[in-house]
Amino acid sequence: MVNARTDLMQGTLELLILKTLSRDSMHGYGIAQRIHQAADDLLKIEDGSLYPALYRMEARGLITSDWGASENNRRAKFYKLTRAGRKQLDAECVNWERVSQAITRILQTA
Amino acid sequence: MKAVVGRIFRRSDSEENKREIEEELRFHLELLTLEHLQPDVSLAEAKGAALKRFGNIELIKDQCLEISRKSHPLMPAVKFFLIVVFLVGVLVRVNGTDCDVIHIGDLLIAVPILCRLLLYVRGLNPSRFFSEHKTSTPLMLNETAQPSFTIYDHRKLTPVERLISEK
Repeated sequence: MVNARTDLMQGTLELLILKTLSRDSMHGYGIAQRIHQAADDLLKIEDGSLYPALYRMEARGLITSDWGASENNRRAKFYKLTRAGRKQLDAECVNWERVSQAITRILQTA
Repeated sequence: MKAVVGRIFRRSDSEENKREIEEELRFHLELLTLEHLQPDVSLAEAKGAALKRFGNIELIKDQCLEISRKSHPLMPAVKFFLIVVFLVGVLVRVNGTDCDVIHIGDLLIAVPILCRLLLYVRGLNPSRFFSEHKTSTPLMLNETAQPSFTIYDHRKLTPVERLISEK
């Protein structure tokens, strides 16, 4: 039986995080919720896998983090996109378009 | 620049860093548990479902710690400094004629190698050697904190409104 949910391609998680943070700053749970909601549960993402990706992206200067109060007044770590992160998002989006177009073309012709 | 300076001071205390990672993961797990909590679902079942959706929490914690430790803003500068010292040591060793100068060269070669080795050993993750994470404390849910907050819901509903809407 084919699993209806799809495993994420390597590197795609960072693109999803960058896109999610492009609107406003969010904590890890908020990012996970937004991704699950937008993907309509079609992508199989373990919530915890976001954190190593977030830490790596912070180390590369794509995002920054600050502790603040959450919606329920709990202390939470909020992530936001940096200028470098925004540039990376634009570049990744262009790259994604190119790759998906190429794959679609191959699937249609081959 | 401000962010980099902030990171230098924040990351200087590894215990504080570890505590912050644990707090962040616990926050996520608690909200996930509440998300799974329904009238017909027990707290233990909700916790189990939350853990299942979250993944291997100890592995994730160790990964975050390792990334955090390796990505200290001063680390590239330290590595560059060690390479420079090593190269100076090699130059002194090759060009030195006096016995004392050669010894200094040896020292300048040995110290960066030892420092680099120490940095490597410190950066090793114990989880690479042990299947069970014996070195780290198991990250548990904060039992007492659970009733004190409401669930974060993208629909901005309170838990009661959420239960009513799902009936």
